[in-house]
Amino acid sequence: MLRPEEAQRPYTVTELANEIRRELRPLTAMLVKGEVTGMKQGAGGHYNFSIRDGVSRLDAVLFADDARRVTTLPEDGQVFIFRGRVDFFGKTGRLSFITDQVEFDDVGKLRARLEELKRRLEVEGAFAPGRKRRLPFLPQVVALITSPTGAVIHDLQETIWERYPNMGVVVYPVQVQGAAAPMSISRALRRCNEEGLAQVIVVARGGGSFEELYAFNTEIVARAILGSRLPVVTALGHTSDRTVADMVADVEARTPTEAGSRVVPKKADLIALLRERERRLDRETNQRLLRESEKLQVKRARLVQILPAMVRVRVDRLAHAAANLARLSPVQQVARREEALRERSRRLAAAGAARMTRARNALASRRAPDRLERALVERFATEQRRLDHLRQQLVAFSPEAVLARGYSITIDSETGRVVRSAAETATNRKLRIRLATGRLGARVEEVEP
Amino acid sequence: MSEQLTYEQALEKLDEKLKLLEDGDLSLEDALKAVDEARVYLKVCTERLEAARKKIEIRPEPSE
Repeated sequence: MLRPEEAQRPYTVTELANEIRRELRPLTAMLVKGEVTGMKQGAGGHYNFSIRDGVSRLDAVLFADDARRVTTLPEDGQVFIFRGRVDFFGKTGRLSFITDQVEFDDVGKLRARLEELKRRLEVEGAFAPGRKRRLPFLPQVVALITSPTGAVIHDLQETIWERYPNMGVVVYPVQVQGAAAPMSISRALRRCNEEGLAQVIVVARGGGSFEELYAFNTEIVARAILGSRLPVVTALGHTSDRTVADMVADVEARTPTEAGSRVVPKKADLIALLRERERRLDRETNQRLLRESEKLQVKRARLVQILPAMVRVRVDRLAHAAANLARLSPVQQVARREEALRERSRRLAAAGAARMTRARNALASRRAPDRLERALVERFATEQRRLDHLRQQLVAFSPEAVLARGYSITIDSETGRVVRSAAETATNRKLRIRLATGRLGARVEEVEP
Repeated sequence: MSEQLTYEQALEKLDEKLKLLEDGDLSLEDALKAVDEARVYLKVCTERLEAARKKIEIRPEPSE
């Protein structure tokens, strides 16, 4: 039974729930330390878990918005310091600790775990200089894995484009801080490699405390960098310890500016370098051609010196040959012979004329023409008489005349001699007998000496 | 031959040819050939410098 003083209007459940919530309002910005258990991600990116110590247990929730901001995501079995408020949910009738920040309870313990990770990676050879990939000398596209807002991405782009105005940039926006950061970064690294849009990756963040840089000390991120086919440059801008990400990266830069200058060469330098090569090439070409042209000049000069002598020898030889040819030419020979004949003819005519002149002169000086005529007539008559006498003698002595008188001449056929005595021939010898008219062939029958 | 060369490879080839030329042991014919080849590599280098296209692309995380 309800007592009379209690006889007031009862609360509805909702009214009581609201009352509880009101009562709980002072429990805000509370810090509570406890071990995480039953961690699971619910719909809409909220995380539900319980915080407990040895005795008590408190339901807790980490809403998606807060989850993106927290330094680290609570894991089962780990002790954290949670910041938040206590709230009561009327619908479920449950009291929850609404977490808005999670901090490591024991940084020392965390560091110890980090050292253990480093040792393991070291043994694997993950930090060995020989393992590091070489940065491309001239990428065409640079991938930036960083927060899409803030100075870092701006500085990176500025540096890259200042050095290389037509460089391509592809940005993979990630959470660089908070519980989701390790997964976000490692996913982006994998996508970079899968999509292959860039030839080099810069992972950047604008510095921060050990806790803020926690993502870069996780094994998830370290493994993603190690597993990258593309070279990775870190630019975490930190001033404290190097992160594991820095140690496994192929190149470690301090600032976005330094990272930019490591991944992209200065285009102006490259152009200057090519110009220098071009100048050297031109110089070599010109010098070589000049040298060859000088060599040719020397040869030409020598040729000019030698040529006249060579030509002279040949001209002489040619002239000689022409002369020979002319001498042997039939036309020339005929002409020459004609000339010789003419010469002889002239000499003959001259000699004849001279002789005539001499004779004429002799005649003119010695005899008068009448004396000459008389002497000639006289000489003619004398000679005529001598001739007549000789002719008569000739007729008288002529064998024809003797033969006409009946004599004959006997000639031995073999010796051809005139047989004057019988002893000059012998029996059976052939004889030829010449008569006044005709000849006889005879054989000796008898010899009577 | 020069189609697949990167800027760096083409530059290396260019420097090789330059060295050959500057050593001066080549015959005129070989020297002129080396000059021609060097000019090809120079052209490749220049082309590679201009091959990059200035652009910025944002690749947001696909929503889950």
